[in-house]
Amino acid sequence: MIHAFFSWLQATSIAQAVSTRWFPVVESVHVLAIATVVGTIFIVDLRLVGLSSRSLRLTTLSSQVLPWTWRAFALALATGTLLLAANAEGYYGNAPLRIKAVLLLLAGLNMAWFQFVGRRDIARWDAGRPPVAARRSGWLSLILWTGIVACGRWAGFV
Amino acid sequence: MTIDDFSQWLSAGAASQFIQVTPGIIPALQTVHILCVAVLFAAALMVDLRILGSGLRDEPLRAVADRFIPSIWRCIPVLLATGALLIVAEPARTLTNPSFFLKLCALAAAIAVTLALQAFARGSSRVGALQVAGAFASLLLWATVIVAGRYIAYVS
Repeated sequence: MIHAFFSWLQATSIAQAVSTRWFPVVESVHVLAIATVVGTIFIVDLRLVGLSSRSLRLTTLSSQVLPWTWRAFALALATGTLLLAANAEGYYGNAPLRIKAVLLLLAGLNMAWFQFVGRRDIARWDAGRPPVAARRSGWLSLILWTGIVACGRWAGFV
Repeated sequence: MTIDDFSQWLSAGAASQFIQVTPGIIPALQTVHILCVAVLFAAALMVDLRILGSGLRDEPLRAVADRFIPSIWRCIPVLLATGALLIVAEPARTLTNPSFFLKLCALAAAIAVTLALQAFARGSSRVGALQVAGAFASLLLWATVIVAGRYIAYVS
């Protein structure tokens, strides 16, 4: 079913336009968006694990940095979908892209855990050192996003 | 010795041959390169957004610059090292590439603008027209470095 969807996706006129003409432009925007997403997430993660920005409250940092992460993520998702559509049949069996999709899902679950569980008692440690579970969530995020970038780059080589 | 001769000499050397025949080295180098680009770009973005009136508004400009600009200087040596290794691997792809030349010019200008912004922020936290122009220039130049870098693959 996913394969049929990918076939349909590649046959759309927008996918054809990206494939024949706009791929480098869309890819450039994708790289800019990813740099913003990953870089801003790392800023918050490094604060969470205690390596940087320790003098800032975590809530101050995240409330002012993460809106830019989400804007850039929307752009990365849109451009990434266009890049995928341009050669959907070819990318269907691409192992790095499949791993990347799984890692993205795990990064989302990790973020959801932090949002709904990890930061429930944030008032107690907002200005100081986060508890071990929150720090682990930060390390996990750093590892997952590194893997996501690696898989994205690797996808172009298989 | 022309650039083409140099490219041929470089790609025939042991270092280039090693990178060319070992699977995974080029994407691994590119991954480290992109991760450093991400940290650098986000750090520049934080300072530029602060100057432009969003981002870390509650912090004085000086504090934001002191927090993020050193990360830019730490990333640049890693970017130069991974970038140099990628050139050693495929010199002919890069050295005569106009997009690579544009990337280097934009990089030099971006470093100059970042140094100026850092010097201004250390002097005072006041934000004037000069700082705003610098913040726009910084965003534009770093974005140009990134896009021109990607276009090395499409221009020859």
